Amino acid sequence: MAETMIRLSNVTKIYGHGDGQVVALRDVSLEVKKGEIFGIIGLSGAGKSTLIRCINRLEVPQRGTIEIGGRDITKLNGRELREARRGIGMIFQHFNLLSSRTVFGNVAFPLEVAGVDRAELRKRVKELVDLVGLSDKLYAYPSQLSGGQKQRVGIARALANRPGVLLCDEATSALDPETTKSILNLLRDVNRRLELTIVLITHEMNVIKEICDTVAVIENGQIVENGPVVEVFANPRTSTARRFIKGVLHTEIPEEIRQRKLIVHREGCVGKTVRISFIGQSAGEPVISSLIRRFDVDVNIIYANLDLIKETPFGSLIVEIVGPDDNVEGSLQYLADQGLKIEVLNGVGPTGLESAG
Amino acid sequence: MVWDPRVWSLLVEALWETLYMVGVSLALSALFGIPLGVLLVITGPRHIRPNAALHNILSVIINAGRSIPFIILLVAIVPFTRLLVGTSIGTTGAMVPLTVGAIPFVARVVESAILEVEWGVIEAAQAMGATTWQIIVKVLIPEAMSGLVLGLTITAVSLVSYSAMAGAVGGGGLGDLAVRYGYQRFRGDIMLATVLVLVILVQGIQSLGDWLARRLSHR
Repeated sequence: MAETMIRLSNVTKIYGHGDGQVVALRDVSLEVKKGEIFGIIGLSGAGKSTLIRCINRLEVPQRGTIEIGGRDITKLNGRELREARRGIGMIFQHFNLLSSRTVFGNVAFPLEVAGVDRAELRKRVKELVDLVGLSDKLYAYPSQLSGGQKQRVGIARALANRPGVLLCDEATSALDPETTKSILNLLRDVNRRLELTIVLITHEMNVIKEICDTVAVIENGQIVENGPVVEVFANPRTSTARRFIKGVLHTEIPEEIRQRKLIVHREGCVGKTVRISFIGQSAGEPVISSLIRRFDVDVNIIYANLDLIKETPFGSLIVEIVGPDDNVEGSLQYLADQGLKIEVLNGVGPTGLESAG
Repeated sequence: MVWDPRVWSLLVEALWETLYMVGVSLALSALFGIPLGVLLVITGPRHIRPNAALHNILSVIINAGRSIPFIILLVAIVPFTRLLVGTSIGTTGAMVPLTVGAIPFVARVVESAILEVEWGVIEAAQAMGATTWQIIVKVLIPEAMSGLVLGLTITAVSLVSYSAMAGAVGGGGLGDLAVRYGYQRFRGDIMLATVLVLVILVQGIQSLGDWLARRLSHR
């Protein structure tokens, strides 16, 4: 198990006083492991922005502790906080680049702030601009760049002082889908190459699905669900999580498939319509063909869907299995033994009578 | 007649006096007004160094300074002027009240230019561990530069018009020339020529300011 990089314990943030009080975060606790990409998803107003901004103390919580690399950031004085912030990069939805500085000047900014000497600074800026693929735009001003290029500058700038943590505040929300993809790829790339811990907030489940290892769902200032992305996608416990997932995974069975009548043509045989859900490696195994060979059943695939969560295949398959009763039962057992999730949708007995599954 | 070489030399001398008064008082009022404006912004609520007491005191002083009519300021601070430059009359004597009058104006102009700087950019600098001083000199001033130049252009134009009143203390300059020759001695031609030079001067200042502001803006 990787060590903990960021630990929030019982963080509460309240805006305003008296009657106008708004609780933005209520007793939030979570843990981010070193080197992982941790996604926080929520609707606007759920508190996700406040949450990420508490991590580098752009917002000061009323209660709770926030440890980064074992150091409680809420207890630092001004100078210590500035030093700690140099170890925490941040990128923003609207990029927040200095319009008066070129790409070079923007990436140089955090280095100047940290007091890096001229020669080292030049070398480092070139490296970073190269890393994000903007070497040909070194002396362009932000107004001359596209949104995606601006965010690349933002990323280069955030990585300048070799931070251990990168905070992404809706970093792709202002970008089109194509650009979003390229920025996410860049983030994944730096996450691997630099062993960087990334915390990102988003309202797009797509972002979580593309690059996150762990996800936390936030609602009304509270974390309502938190776990490895694949697990949350496979078994969402809250309706909020289910709503988010529905948008990016087609787990719903189309109506015409649900209504489809199962007809058994083989005499003395039973038929079952089964949904097989799979995550990870079993997607690559020839389960269906071995089923047919081992159990002498007919398998008719009527619906299939495959998706990737980060790099993990995730999908479902709806099949009709027809064969002698024992063989069909054996098939289901076999599938379950492969670690697949089996759900019988409906079945037809040998008499041809339909029975609910 | 206007084409009389003596009129020309009067005009040239007056133009020089105006440029001298406006130039020096603009530079000095910027020197004091810019830091004042910056301080006013950063001590404001929800800015980088909130300090309600200081912010309110500065604001009241600046408003008070701006509410005093220039002609009154001119005579009211005579002792102060004398103390500072040794005389309260002439071009040098007029420069002190011009500067004092322009400082609060510059402070407000700077305030509005700096408030234009996007909060997100300031926050990004904070997130990178910048100190207050670094934010002022590396973010606030450079990002507001174009607005600052436009603000100082407005100040310069106001100073040209204020400097006309400097004639009251023998300050000289174009405005004074227009009053003394054009109005008091009924020399309509000199009045017209002076006003023409003033119009060209103000046009020139504004065009220069606009051009510089455009060059400095990378938005």
